[in-house]
Amino acid sequence: MAAEPQQNAAGEDPRLPFDDEAGAGTGKRDVAGLVIAVSLFALAALIVNDASGYVIRRSYARFGPEIVPYLVAAGIAVLGVLTVVMAWRGKFEAREPLNYGGVLWLTGGVIAEIIMLYSGTGFIPGSAVLFACAARAFGQTTLLLNLGVGLVMSTILFVLFRYGLGLSLPSGPVERFIDLLFR
Amino acid sequence: MDTFILLFEGLGTALQPMNLMFALLGVMLGTAVGVMPGIGPALTVALLLPVSLSFGATGSMIMFAGIYYGGMYGGAISSILLNTPGETASIMTALEGNRMAKRGRGGKALGAAAFGSFFGGMFATLGLAIVAPFMVMVALSFGTAEYFALMVLSFMTVSAAFGGSMIRGLTALFIGLTIGIVGTDKLTGQVRLAFGVPEMSDNISIAIVAVGLFAIGETLYLASQHVNHKAKAQAVSGSVWLNWGDFKRCIRPYIRGTGLGFLFGPLPTGGAEIPTFLSYTTEKRLATGEARREFDEGLGAIEGVAGPEAANNASAAGTLIPLLTLGLPTSATAAMMLAGFQQYGLQPGPLLFTNNAELVWGLVASLFIANLMLVVLNVPFIGIWVKLLTIPRPWLYAGILTFATLGIVGAQGSPFALVLLLGFGLIGFVMRRFGYPLAPALVGAILGPLAEEQLRRGLMINRGDWWFLLNSNIALTIYAIALLSVFGPRLWALARRSRRRGGATG
Repeated sequence: MAAEPQQNAAGEDPRLPFDDEAGAGTGKRDVAGLVIAVSLFALAALIVNDASGYVIRRSYARFGPEIVPYLVAAGIAVLGVLTVVMAWRGKFEAREPLNYGGVLWLTGGVIAEIIMLYSGTGFIPGSAVLFACAARAFGQTTLLLNLGVGLVMSTILFVLFRYGLGLSLPSGPVERFIDLLFR
Repeated sequence: MDTFILLFEGLGTALQPMNLMFALLGVMLGTAVGVMPGIGPALTVALLLPVSLSFGATGSMIMFAGIYYGGMYGGAISSILLNTPGETASIMTALEGNRMAKRGRGGKALGAAAFGSFFGGMFATLGLAIVAPFMVMVALSFGTAEYFALMVLSFMTVSAAFGGSMIRGLTALFIGLTIGIVGTDKLTGQVRLAFGVPEMSDNISIAIVAVGLFAIGETLYLASQHVNHKAKAQAVSGSVWLNWGDFKRCIRPYIRGTGLGFLFGPLPTGGAEIPTFLSYTTEKRLATGEARREFDEGLGAIEGVAGPEAANNASAAGTLIPLLTLGLPTSATAAMMLAGFQQYGLQPGPLLFTNNAELVWGLVASLFIANLMLVVLNVPFIGIWVKLLTIPRPWLYAGILTFATLGIVGAQGSPFALVLLLGFGLIGFVMRRFGYPLAPALVGAILGPLAEEQLRRGLMINRGDWWFLLNSNIALTIYAIALLSVFGPRLWALARRSRRRGGATG
C-alpha cells in the first residue's frame, strides 16, 4: 500500500495513532513531564502508606485487601521511572501554548457553583454562574448576556429534570418559588 | 435457528412504546451531539449516565446504543461540513467529504455517509446477532482464572490501542485502577484510600469518574486551546439523495467497509480508527477512472466517504460483541456502556445472555430500529441537524458543562460530588494535554475491582497459590492473544514503514 504523501492535495496524510511511536517529541528535557513523574511517585507512596495501615486478617487466601493496592503502587512506581526517562529524552509531543484565561474561567466557574451550592443558593443560580463563566472561557465576553442565557437554560433544565425525571436538585429561594408554582 | 426466535422476541421488547421512545431519544441525542464539533458518542453517553438512572435498565441501554449509532451518523455531518471530526471514527470521512462540500457536492457526501452508515449498521448488527451466541457458548466454560486473564487482556489492549504510546496508556490504566481501589473492599469491608471522607468510603460512582474525565476534562482541554471557536460551516449544497450512478460507485465501498468494520470492531484495537483508515486507503488504492482523478486532484471522491462511514458503523456493532458476551470494552463508548450496565448491577458476559435474555435481545433488536430511525432522520431531515452547527460554540460548550454538573448533582444529591467531579476533570485535562489516553483510565476504574475480586477469590480457593492463574489452557491462550494484540500492531506498523521505505528506493 504505497500511500504517496505528495499526491495528497491538502497535505493531510492519513496516519494511524501508533505511527507516532518513534516519538515526534521535541527532544528537549521536559520539566512538566518530570512533574508528572513526581506526582506518580507521590501517588504510589500514598497508596503504600494507606495499604500498610490495613487490619491484618488471617485467611485461606494468605493475601488480604492490601495485595492489589501494593501491586498497583508497584506498577505506578515503575511507570514513574519510565516517565522520567520519557521526559528526560523529550519524548512528549510538543504542546500548543496554554490559554490560561480559558482554563481559569472554566475552573473558576465550577468552583463558584460548588461554593454556591454549599451556601444554599440553589441549583439555578449556581448553574447560571457556571454557564456564564464557561461561555466566557470560550471567548464569549458578554458576561451579562451569558448569565441571562444561563438562567433561562438552567431553569428549563431544572423544571425538566425535577418534575420530568424526579431528580432531587439542590434548592434555594428560586427553586422553592418554582416549586410553589408547580404545586 | 434459535437466534432468530430470540431476535424476534427481542423485537417484541424493542417495539414496546416506551422502548421505542428511548431508542428515538437516543438516536436524536446521539446525532445532535455527534454533529457538534469536538464531542463524540463517548462523551454523550457519559453525560447521560447519571440521568439515565431513572430510565430502567432496558430503556437506558437501548438509549445508549442509539446514542452510539447516532453519534456515528452525526459525526459525519460535522466532518463533511466543518472538517472538524467529532470523534476519531470520522477523521477519514473528513478527508474526501470536506473536499466534496467545498466543491458544491456536500449533499452527495452527506447522502453517501448516511446510507453507508445504514448499510454498515444493518449488516454488522445482523452479524452481531449471529456471532454473539457462539461467543457465549465459549465463554460459559470460563472460571476465575479465565476471567482474570480476560480482564488482563482488556487492560493490555485498551492501554496499547488508544493514543500513541504504551507507557502513557499503561499510566492511564493504573490511574484508573487506583480510582477503582478507593472505597470499601467487597470481601473484607476494609476501607481503602478514603482519607476519612464519608462520600469516598462507599466507592466513588463511576458516573463521576466518567463525566469528570471525559466531559469536564475535554471541555477544559478545548478551553485551553487558542482557537477561534467561531469557524464557519459549509452550506449543504445539492441533493442528499443518491442517483443510480452515485449508488453504483458506493455499493462496493459499502460492502468492503462493512466487512472491515465488522472484522476490526470486536478486536481490542481501539474501535473504529483502524477499520476506517484501512477502508479509506483501500478505496483510494482501488479507485479508477473518474474516482481516480477525484482522489488524485483533491476534488473529493464519494468512495472515500462511503467506505469509512460504512466501516465506522459496522465497527460500532462489532464492538458490542465482546462487550455483551465477555464484558470487554474495546472502545471508549463501549467502556461507557459498560459503566451504564454496572449502574444497574448488571455485569455483561455470558451470564447476561442467560439471566437477562430479554434485555440483551431487546437491545440487539432495537439496534435495527435505531438504524432505520437514523436513516430517516439523516436523509430527509438533514437540514435540522445542520442548523445545530450555527449555535454559538461558547454557549454550546457552556451548556454541556452545565448539563454535566446537573446530572452529577442530581444523581448524587451532594455538592461534594462536584468537588470530586472537578478533581477528575483536572486529571482528565492534564492527561489530554500530555497525550495520555482517557479510555484506559475508565476501563481500569470499572474492571479493576472486578479483576481484583476474581484474583482474590482464586487465591482463596487455591490457598494463596498464584499458579492457578496459568493452570488453564484457555487462560494461557488469552494471555497469548493479549501479547499479540499489544505487539501485533507495532510489528504491523514496522512492516508498513519498511515497505514504504522500500517503495521509495525501489
